[in-house]
Amino acid sequence: MSVVFSLESPYRGEYRLHRLTFGSGGPVTALVAGIHGNEVNGIQALNLIASMLRLQRVAGTVHLLPCVNLFGAEEARKRWPFDDRDLNEAFPGAADGSPVERIALAVLDASEADVCIELQTGSAAVHEAPHARVPLTGPAAELGRIAALPICWRRSSDRIDDGLVGAWRAAGRTALELRGGRGGALDLDDARTLARGVVRILAAAEHIGSTERPGDGVACTTVHDHRATLGGFFVPEVRVGERVAEGQLLGVVRAPLGGEPREVVHASTAGVVLALRVYPMVHASERLVRVAIPEE
Amino acid sequence: MAYRLESLFDVELPTGDIVAITRRSFGNGEGPTVALLAGVRGDTPEGTRVLHEVGKHLLRMEEALTGTVHVYPCVNPLAADQGARHWPGLDVDLARRFPGRADGHAPDRLAHRLLGELQAADVVVELRAAHPAFRQVPQARVLAGSSSAAELAASANVRCLRLQSTPCASGSLEEALPNLLMLEGGSGNRLTESVGLELADGLLNLLAVLHVFPEGDLPFHWAAIQRPVICGDDALLDHRCTRGGLFIPAARTWDDIDAGALLGEIIDPMTGETREHITASEGGRVLAHRAEPVVYPGNLVARLVRQ
Repeated sequence: MSVVFSLESPYRGEYRLHRLTFGSGGPVTALVAGIHGNEVNGIQALNLIASMLRLQRVAGTVHLLPCVNLFGAEEARKRWPFDDRDLNEAFPGAADGSPVERIALAVLDASEADVCIELQTGSAAVHEAPHARVPLTGPAAELGRIAALPICWRRSSDRIDDGLVGAWRAAGRTALELRGGRGGALDLDDARTLARGVVRILAAAEHIGSTERPGDGVACTTVHDHRATLGGFFVPEVRVGERVAEGQLLGVVRAPLGGEPREVVHASTAGVVLALRVYPMVHASERLVRVAIPEE
Repeated sequence: MAYRLESLFDVELPTGDIVAITRRSFGNGEGPTVALLAGVRGDTPEGTRVLHEVGKHLLRMEEALTGTVHVYPCVNPLAADQGARHWPGLDVDLARRFPGRADGHAPDRLAHRLLGELQAADVVVELRAAHPAFRQVPQARVLAGSSSAAELAASANVRCLRLQSTPCASGSLEEALPNLLMLEGGSGNRLTESVGLELADGLLNLLAVLHVFPEGDLPFHWAAIQRPVICGDDALLDHRCTRGGLFIPAARTWDDIDAGALLGEIIDPMTGETREHITASEGGRVLAHRAEPVVYPGNLVARLVRQ
């Protein structure tokens, strides 16, 4: 493990960006988690990967940056705690910029690789099924298929050019995002599923041998959002990753005080639950359930 | 009541409580319609104060109004209730949600509705504030391509007019309204008496220039209005620290600084020893400086404008 960047802090020990490197030479794969400090599933997934790589002979190089926003993680905060800036909005960063811009540039430099993968979660209020977000076509889309997470969401390029993944793509690297779980909570099953997806990609790049079996996920290009018409207290009737039929009950928005039903939410289409609102207080028009519609 | 209070948008909370976003409308003449907007972020009470100062004068000159003034004193009341920058609960920055969407969550629907109303006005002015960590002089910003907004901004009693080459961010109001005139000054979550009064006088002068009311009804002589230093992005001189610690400023806003003059120092918070001297890279006026002293390497501590 090496410290690839440090930043003096006013009162406490300096901020350090840690990188674990396994193997040497090409090809190079970089894995990054914890850009948002409260997204701990990615940290857990990369720690599982590190445990596995320590026991293997690694061909080529695998870089792991398990927790970029270490100060945020210590306080269960999504953003950089000092000035509440979102690190993911600071890319591509700048050597002479603000603290988060300097960290962003250091992350971009430290993750120079042929294949770059970022691990994220949903927000603190939304649980997401483990899934890959990839472009419609190209090598990153193929890696999303190989990861074989429960869902591979192929999206048009105008929706995926933000943040670290966007900066990697702008630099000409093959980049994809693996997501699962929610901010502020460790879900061991989701973390393991994400780690398995990474292992399949590392095996396909011949960094490691793997006995990981192919997954049985679905691919989609279309998702359908089910939103609350009225505000209230949302009680879900499905779980993330669950297959739902058209018309199936997804949940009920109830009165927060008294519990009377205000709105019953049914699936408008058959599919797989990609994301589910788990913090129950919802405002009118907020997203409750996102259903991925599998490709034929 | 000499103004019309209209509810623009209702935010329904999960409990069923309703928070109304309102506007006050003054006059109904055939002259221009001007929209004055504040509180897109919840940590900018200066703008709200300024608009109510302007409102007091508009009430007094009701008979003289030949145009219409829509005043939106605070369009993000839930955030303002907490002194927070973002929409609470959703943690959404309303200032980055334009043009919004009709079927989105509450901030998106508000942005959509608000933009529709603002597009109907002849002139739109938004009051902003510095980040709470900074203190800045009254200044105006417009997009460089908008000559009409730049002309108006020169009448707004500000120290500096910045011609911005591009919108500050995707989803910003100026991206959706390229002729937007942005006025700002002071510090986030603070009222700064001198800044508020200067901006209020500037807005009244601007309304007179637009013939919303006769110039003779101004509560001051037009000659008292100051003319700004006009600059582009390349005239701004940002000074960042390279060490962490406590920033102790040595200059005040709008001080006229020579090249090499001391702007402040970074000290070790535990020993008081100086870690870094921050000196002016060129001569200029201090447009803004850091008011919250705790800094990390790379933090902006002073912004000068080259004269």
